[in-house]
Amino acid sequence: MKQQFSRRSVLARIGAAMAGLLAAPAARAAKTAVQKVFVSSGAAKGYDVMKHKWLMCVDANKCIGCGLCAEACKKENNVPEGPYFRTWIERYVIPKPKPGSGETRGEPIVDSPNGGMHGFPPAAIPPSEIEHSFFVPKLCNLCEHSPCTQVCPVGATFDAPDGAVLIDPKYCIGCGFCIQACPYGCRFLNPFTKTAEKCTLCYHRITRGLKPACVEICPTQARIFGDLNNPVPDDPLQKFCDQNLVQVLKPHLGTEPRVLYAGLDKEVR
Amino acid sequence: MNEVTNLVFEVLPKFEGYAYPNEAGPHPLWGFLIVLYPYITGLVAGAFIMASLVRVFNVKALEPTYRLAMLTALSFLVCAPLPLLFHLGHPERCYEIMMTPHFTSPMAMFGFVYAWYLMAVLLLELWFDYRQDLVEWSHTTPGFKGIIYRLFTLGVTDESAEALKLDMKLGWIISIIGIPSAFLLHGYVGFIFGSVKANPWWGNVLMPIIFILSAVVSGIALCVFNYMVLTWIRRHTVDMRCLDTMAMFLFYALVVDAAVEGLDWIHRVYAAEEGFSVLRTMIREKLFYTLNLGQATVGTLVPLLLLGSLQLLRRRVPELVRRRMIFSCGVMILLGVLAMRWNVVIGGQLFSKSLRGVMGYKIQFAGVEGWLMGLVLLVLPFIILSVLVKLFLSERLPSSGHTPQDAVAADV
Amino acid sequence: MRPFKLPPQILRLILLTLGIVGSYLVARAMLTPPSFHEYGWYRGEALEELSARTPVFAGKKACEECHSDILQKLGQFEHKTLSCEACHGVSREHADNNDILPVKLTGSHCLRCHEANPSRPKWFKQIVVREHYTGKCSECHVPHAPNQTP
Repeated sequence: MKQQFSRRSVLARIGAAMAGLLAAPAARAAKTAVQKVFVSSGAAKGYDVMKHKWLMCVDANKCIGCGLCAEACKKENNVPEGPYFRTWIERYVIPKPKPGSGETRGEPIVDSPNGGMHGFPPAAIPPSEIEHSFFVPKLCNLCEHSPCTQVCPVGATFDAPDGAVLIDPKYCIGCGFCIQACPYGCRFLNPFTKTAEKCTLCYHRITRGLKPACVEICPTQARIFGDLNNPVPDDPLQKFCDQNLVQVLKPHLGTEPRVLYAGLDKEVR
Repeated sequence: MNEVTNLVFEVLPKFEGYAYPNEAGPHPLWGFLIVLYPYITGLVAGAFIMASLVRVFNVKALEPTYRLAMLTALSFLVCAPLPLLFHLGHPERCYEIMMTPHFTSPMAMFGFVYAWYLMAVLLLELWFDYRQDLVEWSHTTPGFKGIIYRLFTLGVTDESAEALKLDMKLGWIISIIGIPSAFLLHGYVGFIFGSVKANPWWGNVLMPIIFILSAVVSGIALCVFNYMVLTWIRRHTVDMRCLDTMAMFLFYALVVDAAVEGLDWIHRVYAAEEGFSVLRTMIREKLFYTLNLGQATVGTLVPLLLLGSLQLLRRRVPELVRRRMIFSCGVMILLGVLAMRWNVVIGGQLFSKSLRGVMGYKIQFAGVEGWLMGLVLLVLPFIILSVLVKLFLSERLPSSGHTPQDAVAADV
Repeated sequence: MRPFKLPPQILRLILLTLGIVGSYLVARAMLTPPSFHEYGWYRGEALEELSARTPVFAGKKACEECHSDILQKLGQFEHKTLSCEACHGVSREHADNNDILPVKLTGSHCLRCHEANPSRPKWFKQIVVREHYTGKCSECHVPHAPNQTP
């Protein structure tokens, strides 16, 4: 069927197409109808996300490796059993150097049996051979330039305005890119929800004025938590920052982690 | 007694050395499906680049394979999203990547680059090339097939000289746009890996370049394979001028690819950065066969030698031997590039980001990430290609202008 | 005047493109969650949903309501940094309903922290059980006031 398309008929066709697209009332009604299926509505809270800036810091000098924090986190956040940890403790055992080897120390032995959540068994070498040994709690480093949120293809993980790095479990497609991109190994794929998961600073607790479960339970205050925008009297976070020289993990990657560590050794990565 | 020592400690034996507890899962997060995705898009990009050699650079010798290469690219491109879809934790939410694409993420480019390449490059170029044939076939073919042809004409039945000239011109423009588009289609995948600074095996600037170069190599190899299989099935003679030219391009592409991969290796060994010792352990213990045997020897060195000798000796090598050599090089390169994708994707997950541990991975037979599924996903594009060939390439392949020295039936 | 003759291929392709792009834009408007872009490239509602989860641990402050005397004693001695639930387990149900009792302390619970381990910091009080005492810890120590004897 051969047709000669005159300018008038072309414009008429394009105009009809545009009018169809811009049928606003119909589109809006259709939009709400469709979105009842796709999107759920959340509950309103009296918490102003713009007024807070949460931070957790770690004093490795105080950690006794009891593992109560890792256990509490699993309970508080319903983390599945198995190699899935929102927070864990690492043990570093640095042996004495072999005599005559000309070295300052032996090969470090690092372990984290079950994330340390049931405590630690005796070390692999007897105490007489140990030069240094210590525990380091690990968690999400709350990076300023978080590589994990950068690589999320859909916007399911994000930096909340109040300092937490969170995952929207209803929006995550489970591609795993954020898990690959995190240099600190703090993310995992939940085998049941099939979405990415990580430490949320117990967001559901801190927005109610409670402390994260791990901070609550730590017997020696090795985990220090606070609100940088609203310090309390004798704020432990302020004291920690004032009194300690600190390090961050993997500074060379440029992620600008906000979690500060006191008492780290060069072997801690 | 002591509660602490009485507890059963869940030993995570997967890693030798230390790994962050979250890394100690039974299998890598990105498995064989994610190995296949860059492999398939690489084949698409490479086949398209080879086809554009005909249209853009006027390499008339490759004319016999033009349409076959384009249809190959199409059949593989159509299958490309499947491994991704099967891998997602929530495939039903896959539309989100196009509705709210997070522009800081290279993965978010997928929806747009794929849609652009499929519609604005591949289908469009095919349409302009086929339009006249589609109009003719829609008139002459009865039944369901005829309906399909009529559908694909999009209702445009103008066969005037003007219209055909316009088709050629527009097709040529699309081809030119298609070359950077093909690089984008596969290059962004390389960038997905290259941008992960957390992973010393992946995160480096050469990664997208290596991906693109090995894609071109694999695409040409696939065209060699498809061309020879098709002529064999049809019992036609292989156009030697075409095949020799393909072998020449394959050789030079392989040289460039091997050079850049070699550069990557040399730089890693020379600079020996922080992750070097764990990477060396990982390669020696966990990637020994797939890297040294699969990627390096079978995939690179042997084809380089064989194809290189063909470039030196040329017509002195009898036709039958040349055909066998080129075909086997094509197959070896296809396997070698698959091994390369495996080494990159799986290798990047066989060591801990603490740089203190390595683990092995034995791919399973069944399951979504098993090699049965992988095989199905690799065979599917060939099935689609055979349907496309039946519909759109049933006529004899055009000549390159070569006169066969001996009119013997094609023999692989 | 000759009418402007758009080549039929171009016209069909333009219409097809408009159709595809148009339907994409409509789909995007319909399928983007309404709270998206509220704070950034994510669903603003997610913040509320994440904070709506019910806490599991009650927290030390919750215990203070009824057990302020114990907490006062605790605050004078070495265990002042301890939270009640570190030893007594999750006690939210008890805090809500006093008939439900929290976890009772067992003798071996103390060793979770105080068992000697070379990795523990030197300032921390640790004992090697067989050298110290193999009976119950509470025979000589008061958990809420560890420096005192019962």
